[in-house]
Formats: sequence, structure tokens, C-alpha cells
Amino acid sequence: MKTKAQSILLNVALLVVGLLTVFPFVWMVLSAFKSNAEINSLDQTFFPREWTFDNFISMQQNFDFARLMANSVVLSVTITAISIYTSCLAGFVLAKYTFRGRGFLFGFVLSTMMVPWAVTIIPRYTMFTEVGLQGSYASLIIPAILSGFGIFMMRQNMSAVPDEVLEAARLDGASEIFIFHRIVMPMSVNAISALAIFQFLWVWEDYLWPYLMINDPSKQVLAVGLTTFSGRYATDFGGLFAATTISIIPVIVVYVIFQRRFIAGAASAAVKG
Amino acid sequence: MLTPKRPEMTAHGGAALIARTPARRVYKGERSLRMSVVVGIVVLNVLLLVIPIGIAFVGSFHQWNPLNGTFNYLGLDNYTQLLGDARFWTATANTGIFGVVVITLRVALGLALAYAVWSKMTRFKTFFRTLFYMPTVTPLVAVAYVWKLMYHPQVGAINSIFGFDVNWLFDSQFALPAIMLMTVWKDFGYAVILFLAGLYSLPEDALEAAGVDGASAWQRFRLIVLPLLRPMMLFVVVTSIISYLQAFVQVMVLTKGGPGTSTSIISYLVYEEAFVKYNFGYASAIAFVLLILTALLTLVSFKMSGGRKLFGKGA
Repeated sequence: MKTKAQSILLNVALLVVGLLTVFPFVWMVLSAFKSNAEINSLDQTFFPREWTFDNFISMQQNFDFARLMANSVVLSVTITAISIYTSCLAGFVLAKYTFRGRGFLFGFVLSTMMVPWAVTIIPRYTMFTEVGLQGSYASLIIPAILSGFGIFMMRQNMSAVPDEVLEAARLDGASEIFIFHRIVMPMSVNAISALAIFQFLWVWEDYLWPYLMINDPSKQVLAVGLTTFSGRYATDFGGLFAATTISIIPVIVVYVIFQRRFIAGAASAAVKG
Repeated sequence: MLTPKRPEMTAHGGAALIARTPARRVYKGERSLRMSVVVGIVVLNVLLLVIPIGIAFVGSFHQWNPLNGTFNYLGLDNYTQLLGDARFWTATANTGIFGVVVITLRVALGLALAYAVWSKMTRFKTFFRTLFYMPTVTPLVAVAYVWKLMYHPQVGAINSIFGFDVNWLFDSQFALPAIMLMTVWKDFGYAVILFLAGLYSLPEDALEAAGVDGASAWQRFRLIVLPLLRPMMLFVVVTSIISYLQAFVQVMVLTKGGPGTSTSIISYLVYEEAFVKYNFGYASAIAFVLLILTALLTLVSFKMSGGRKLFGKGA
């Protein structure tokens, strides 16, 4: 009986921590459906007394969020696709071929992860402005082509693919590029899903670089849009709740759908190899 | 990485592999794949990393303002100015406090929750894992705004639920702890997932042997589980050090370094000097100190616990 009580206690404790973890999200979504008068009233309730869509409507009218959202989606998908592919390719080469300088190259890739953005952002800003890339999406895509973390993660993961599998394919006459695309990449699907969500998220939440590079408000991304919105409509709390809701909820939905595969992949960088 | 299971996958294993196969056959299409990767990594990193670091280094010895085109050699002036700049020392101290507190809480909470979820007494493991990991997969800028509203003295949930009367983000006593709390909430889930992965790959027999020996749950955790999780702990600590030294967005959204300089951290100071005041030279000097600090701290944590094993062969 003692263990039974312990078990209940443990599960309840975990549930409490879990509820505290999701509380900010729930509160945000519910508040987005409250009127500003209700949000500002002294007498607060958890659920809206009167559900309203006004916050979403006024936010869209004052500030073209749909446009910013579309920009962010297109950019995040493009950059994620590019960097996933380069990470897989580099990870495959570093994991499966032995050649001179491989160790050095991998060490170099690892060390790039350590460089703080604060060091490179000033020269990059100068360089990109100098060559006239400011204002274009190319300025956001080019720095994201290679991801040190992505290469590291895919290399760790692809090291775990048995060499025998590759040898068998070679005996059947498969080219290396075929082996990479049709055998090794499909075998790394968990790690790719995890990396995809991470990369997507990093582009989605990147704030300072798009803020520096993109001047045209209609080309701007959601993360920068949020700060502009909160600066301009500082007292429109309902609008801010609605804006944060639509920038967070899509990501959570994607995560919950893929969470099993994703969690399996997320830890693989640190476990395998 | 978990050496008990894969002894061959160490740095030495990698070296031996190269030595054993000096002249292996080159596969069909291997050369072009290899070349494109090597050239790609080298060229892009030289353009986007090596050259910028060089420019930042040179720039840190100059008075450099892109708005009026100044670029005058100053020698070590930026660095001597830095040493006498109270804002720099405040920011360094704040970064230190922020890093130590957040990393400690992240590791402690991550380990405790992972161990609890892993326990045979826990049901709904997937459910809990999914909940804990949720903040990690949400965008920081948006999440920081949610917390800004949570901390709001009138409309915020924290005051209204707990009955406090605190203006969290505008009180120099509470602003930094408030930012740290938000960061721990955002990031503890990743530690949970990593420690869980570590726990699931523990050798069963060691745990069973401990059970037979009649070790208590706490002894089992402290004497067997914890030492085996050391590499994972190092991974969490090293990646945390690197990312928290660069933390910026939460400060930018929640407090802009204020009130006063009470939440100014090094990366925020770089941003302010560079893109509010356009003192590119001075900002570069601060950024360079940050780079050296990051390198030193990473190196120290590696040296302290044999990091080569952590990143596998070739690292």
C-alpha cells in the first residue's frame, strides 16, 4: 500500500508541474477571447465572461498580421528545407566517409556553434548592407544555409546507420548519392523531424537579424511584427493576446501532432555517436 | 556517447579506424559529394564567420560609426574604456547571476522531472513529456510577450492569482528574477527530454544489481544513476552556457535592460551599443570579450569532465 500512495503522490506532483507549465498558454488563449474592458477590470475571471472575436478582428484591421504570418511561414519553410538538406548531406559525409581533415572539419563545425551572435552580427550587418542585400529575403536565407547544430545532429545520427547497409547497396550498384537520398535519409527520419521543428522555430522566432535587414513593413516577419505591434498599441492587451496566440498556437499544434517522433529525435544528438 | 554501451565510439576508435584503412577504394560519386560538402562548409563559414570575426576584431580597435562613416584607429582605447565602464561590469555580473541560477535550476528541475517520469510508478509518461516540452518548442519572442502580460501589475495573472502587489518588471529587485523564472520555464523541458534519453539508455543490469543489494531509492539514484548521467549533464551544461551567454530576446521584450541597468546583460549591452547608439567599435570590443568568455567557460567544462567522449570521434 505504501508504494500505491507514493505512486499517486508522484503522479499528482507531476500533474501539478505539468499544469503550471501549460498555464501561461491556456491563460493567453482564454484572454484573447476577452474584451479589453474585461481584461482591464479589477475583478478577473479565468474564463471569459463573454467570448468575443473582436481582438482578432481589430488586430488584423490595425495591423496586417495575416501578411506577416504568411511571410514568416514562407521564409521558415524555405530556410528549414534548405538547412535540413545541407545538414543531412554534411552529416552523411562526415559520418560515413573517412578522409584526411575530417576530424578537423568536424571540430571546426562544432566550434562554429560556440560563436556568439553578438560577435558576428555587426560585421555581417556591414557586409550585407555594403553588397546591397539589405531589404531582400536573400539576406535572411544566406546566413541560414548551413547550421552547425544541424550538421552536428545529423552526423551523430547517421553514424548509427550500420556500414553493412551501405555496403549491401553498393554491391547492388547503387551510387553514393542514391544511398544518401534513398537509404540514409529515410533511416534518419526521427532526427530530421526533430531538426525540422527546431530549425522552423529558430527562423520563426529570429528577431534581431530580420529587424536589421528588412525595412519594408509589408515584407517583415511575425517576430518583429509583434514588437512593432506592442510598441504601437501598448494598451491594447486584447490585441496582444490575440497576436501572441496566433503566433504560438500553430507551432504547438504541429508539435503535438509529431511529438512522438520529435521527442525521439530531439535527444538523439546527445545520445548517439 | 554513452561509453558503457559503445566503447568503440570514442575519439580513439575514430583514429584507429583511419589508421586501419589507409588506402580504401573511393566509392562511385563519393568524391563529388565529399568535395561539395568540404567546399561548402569552408566557403560559407569563411564568408559568414571567419571574415566577420576578423572584421569585429579589427573594428574593436577603432572608433567605428557606420552612420557618419567614421573608422579611426584608437589602439586599445575601447578595451580600456570597457574596463572602466560600470555598465559593462553590471552587465557581466547580471549575466553571471542569470547563467548560474538558470543553469542550476534547469539541470535540477530537468533531472528531477526526468527521474520522476522515468520511474515505474508513473503513468501517462508520454502525456507528461509532451506537457513539459511544450514551452521549448514555442517561439521565444511571442512567449516573452505572454510573460510580460503575466507580470503586468494590473492585468497580469501572477498578481491576481497569488494576491501580490508587485510591479515585477519595473522593480529592480524583482526584474532579473522575473526574467530568470521565465527562462527556466521556457527551457527546463529540453533538459527533461535529454535526461530521459540518458535514463532510458542506462544498463539495466547495473540498476537491477543495485535493487538486489537492497540499496534505497535515493542511494540508487545518487550512487548509480547520477554518475552514469554525467556525460548528459555535461552536454546540458555546455549547451546552456553557450546559449545563456547570448540571451537577449527575453531582456529586449520584458525590460530593455531596466529598470536602470538591473537587467542589462552582456548581449543586450552589445545590442544597445551597436544598434541603438551605433558605436560599432565599442560594441565589437564587448562582443569580443564575450567570445573569449564563452570559449574559456566551454573549455573549462570540457576539461573538467572529459568532453571528447561527449561529442564522439573526431571532436
